[in-house]
Amino acid sequence: MLFTWLMLTGCILFFTPQGLTGKFQLAFVDIFRWPLSLGGNVALTARTHKSFDGAPGGDEAHLRNYIANLEQTLSQQSKKLRELYGLYNTDIWEGADWALAGVITRTVEGPRNELTIDYRKKKGLVKGQYVLGGESVIGTISDVFPQLHTARVKLITDATSQIPVELAGVPTIMKGSGGNFAVIETLKKKVDVGEKVFARRKAGLMDASIIAGRVARCERNHKTASTWDITVEPACDIAALEDVAVIIMNPKT
Amino acid sequence: MRWLRFAVLILVVAILQKGVLARWDHKPDLLLILLVFFAVYSNTSEAIISSFTIGFAADLIGSPLPMGPHMISFGLFGTLLAYVHRVVAIRRMPYQALAILITGFLTGALAHLLVFLIKREPMPENVFTAIFLTSLFSSLVGPLLFPPAAWSVGIEMNRFQRRSRR
Repeated sequence: MLFTWLMLTGCILFFTPQGLTGKFQLAFVDIFRWPLSLGGNVALTARTHKSFDGAPGGDEAHLRNYIANLEQTLSQQSKKLRELYGLYNTDIWEGADWALAGVITRTVEGPRNELTIDYRKKKGLVKGQYVLGGESVIGTISDVFPQLHTARVKLITDATSQIPVELAGVPTIMKGSGGNFAVIETLKKKVDVGEKVFARRKAGLMDASIIAGRVARCERNHKTASTWDITVEPACDIAALEDVAVIIMNPKT
Repeated sequence: MRWLRFAVLILVVAILQKGVLARWDHKPDLLLILLVFFAVYSNTSEAIISSFTIGFAADLIGSPLPMGPHMISFGLFGTLLAYVHRVVAIRRMPYQALAILITGFLTGALAHLLVFLIKREPMPENVFTAIFLTSLFSSLVGPLLFPPAAWSVGIEMNRFQRRSRR
């Protein structure tokens, strides 16, 4: 009898809409924000030894992403200028606002990857907005809990994530594959390792292409030999991020 | 069983799992270890309650998965393990490790299958590998964590052993 009642409780919980039960998960993170973020700092300290093996450090990666974004913006602006020759040209980020948020918890290993962020003192966050970390796109908002100023970020590496990207001038879709990697399947041209992958602009959410990752591997597709499967690694060390920024286009003041 | 201590233990372990361990590359599932511990060292009704409670805690920290699948899978397999333990004693460390490995894989697989089949969320390609690795790491460290877990909730680990010798 005890088992039946508890199983019934589990089923009720399971069939309750995720929009409602997800709030419990966010509330837990909000209540235990301090010990959870303290744990994150401890883990971060333990990870710092990894940055001495010749890999670019956090600041260097940050600057490289910033330069890549500037180059891409310049290219986009130039194209726009050519198209609208003689007409006015507006700043692509005009009217955009940024919600800075601290990272409370992060799940970056395994198939499902997400961050829980704290965006105090800011309004206007909604599902689907792009999130930047280290000057690169790291994911999108998947759930918001305005009462607690807490939100969840589905990372680009999450196995259920799909975002439109541009690689070597080819528009395509990048899917998360878990384990801190994403993949672009059946690309029709070979690309070099290290090539930049840009998240494509999306009206109302992001008005400029921003770097999202770099090509880590390029292998022939097993089924169609004329196409290539690309493995992409995020442009920044997501596990080390302490702060992120959410892009809010055309905020309501 | 001392339920207040049990609640505190589950809370601390859930925070550890979501905080410190969340960033480790290869990590054991501490809640899974506790599930097997309580299934083995409690009486059947306590094992059922603790299995569902641990499952609820796993759901709370199980985001981005929705709530419910862990409670169902932990409750089901925790209860099953408690009944199996009544027939086949799981006292030696290798058996405990095996129990953690099998229970971990079954609970993880069921939770993801429930989400895939009922909630219609896409199933990640490498999910079963990830579940197996987590179960493996849990089985390696799990039996070593049983004595501190027993001490923290006031369970005497040797009482079953004495009973069996009589």
